[in-house]
Amino acid sequence: MTTQPTDVPAIQLRGVSKSFRTPDGQEVGVQPTDLEVAAGEIHGIIGFSGAGKSTLLRLANLLERPDAGQVIVHGDDLTAMPPATLRAARQRIGMIFQHFNLLHNRTVADNVAFPLRIAGASPERIRERVDTCLAFVGLAEKAGAYPAQLSGGQKQRVAIARALAPEPHVLLADEPTSALDPRTTQSLLEVLADVNRRLGVTILLVSHEMGVIRRLCHRVSVMEGGHIVERLRIDQGRIPPGSQLAQWLKDYGDGTGDAPEEEVDPTASLQREASHA
Amino acid sequence: MLESLLATFIELLPEIGKAAGETGLMLVICLTAALLFGGSLGILVFLTSKGQVLGRFRRFNLVANGFINVFRSFPFIILLVAVSPFTRHIVGTSIGPLAASVPLSLAAIFYFARLIEQTLRDVPRGVIEAAEAMGASPLQIVRQVLLVEARSGLILAVTITAVSFLSYSAVAGVVGGGGIGDLAIRYGYYRFQTDVMLITIVLLVILVQGIQFFGQWLARRVDKR
Ligand SMILES: Nc1ncnc2c1ncn2[C@@H]1O[C@H](COP(=O)(O)OP(=O)(O)OP(=O)(O)O)[C@@H](O)[C@H]1O
Ligand SMILES: [Mg+2]
Repeated sequence: MTTQPTDVPAIQLRGVSKSFRTPDGQEVGVQPTDLEVAAGEIHGIIGFSGAGKSTLLRLANLLERPDAGQVIVHGDDLTAMPPATLRAARQRIGMIFQHFNLLHNRTVADNVAFPLRIAGASPERIRERVDTCLAFVGLAEKAGAYPAQLSGGQKQRVAIARALAPEPHVLLADEPTSALDPRTTQSLLEVLADVNRRLGVTILLVSHEMGVIRRLCHRVSVMEGGHIVERLRIDQGRIPPGSQLAQWLKDYGDGTGDAPEEEVDPTASLQREASHA
Repeated sequence: MLESLLATFIELLPEIGKAAGETGLMLVICLTAALLFGGSLGILVFLTSKGQVLGRFRRFNLVANGFINVFRSFPFIILLVAVSPFTRHIVGTSIGPLAASVPLSLAAIFYFARLIEQTLRDVPRGVIEAAEAMGASPLQIVRQVLLVEARSGLILAVTITAVSFLSYSAVAGVVGGGGIGDLAIRYGYYRFQTDVMLITIVLLVILVQGIQFFGQWLARRVDKR
């Protein structure tokens, strides 16, 4: 689906920083940081609460404007764009959220159609994309339902279909499974793996759950205090021994709070591209 | 008692009809002004508030907010008198329903603006942010997110405004604004015709109930949350 050359990184954050002003002085969200996400990769950002994960993710589509540095998506510098150009660029960057953020007064189909309407797509294309994307997430029969009539897992599937509708090259995900139970999480991770494998969409995903990172990501950046303190390759779901992350895993478990790590076979349900395995 | 009331009612029917028409005219004018100007103002104040899409226009927000507060703190009867030179200037007279519509509209615009601004706050920030992330422009966010997600609250805001200004229009009657309130004051108050007073009150009660009931019914119907 995507025709982007794979040698251009999908996302490059160059020296980005963001600080928030609070009544009691300055609170830094993200210290000057570099991040590069290769096209076709699933890149995780993990860290404790307040580490700056969400801020870093939101810098990638300029929901948060950096105080300094550049945000380059598929070779285009978002920070240099005038508003209208930035809006057009954002139409090719999907985003999903922990709390789904669907429009409650619109049907499932209208939610999925929303980004296409904004972009001024033709009715035929809208119909075609809505059908395709709802079928992709397995919710074709819910097209006429309202979000209030869906379960949390179904709502997140709708949000994924909505993000996929304009055929994005990149998907940003902020804790997409944190509001869901372990089984629903598992099935959603499979959907996301499919999005990456079958549609070739690059995914940048924030999670504080080690299990999610291990099951889904090819690479992971570990954040602490607004910095990326570690960058790791996840091979077959294994965290490199001796890393900070491996230590956290030992100290705090994999964040799901249930199954101990030995019982989880991270590759059983998710097949990766050979190049990443 | 009831018979004589009915007799008075029939006798006064032409007057009541005329008064109802005048009240209707005042309401239509001031609600239209409230929807157009108050609605736009309320939306702009919301969009420019802290942390929202146009939050960088902080100065506009402060000024507009101040304006709304100043106008809303005027007691209506004082506003009525205070703007009468302005009213004479644009309507040519300061009595009659058209003239009364000027202060009514002015009050309704700022009243409605505040209501709208507060109603829009019920739309979760995350939903607006999702639209921003999809590349929606501020205008698209207003039309396709805010007005859709807050629609039942907006209908209730119109309902409350209509009911409030029905009673304000009666106050406008005091200075010769016409309408049902004027009728009540002329016959009921100045001429001690309690039966006329009663009839107008019953009429107003029915109107208020009707507006309130319809507004709530419609708001419930469009709410899919
Ligand atoms: N809009 C904001 N205003 C003020 N401070 C903020 C804002 N957003 C984030 N921060 C601060 O920046 C720091 C990083 O926040 P961020 O939300 O990126 O953390 P996080 O790693 O995503 O945490 P969590 O796992 O709890 O979501 C925190 O100290 C937070 O208080
Ligand atoms: Mg976060």
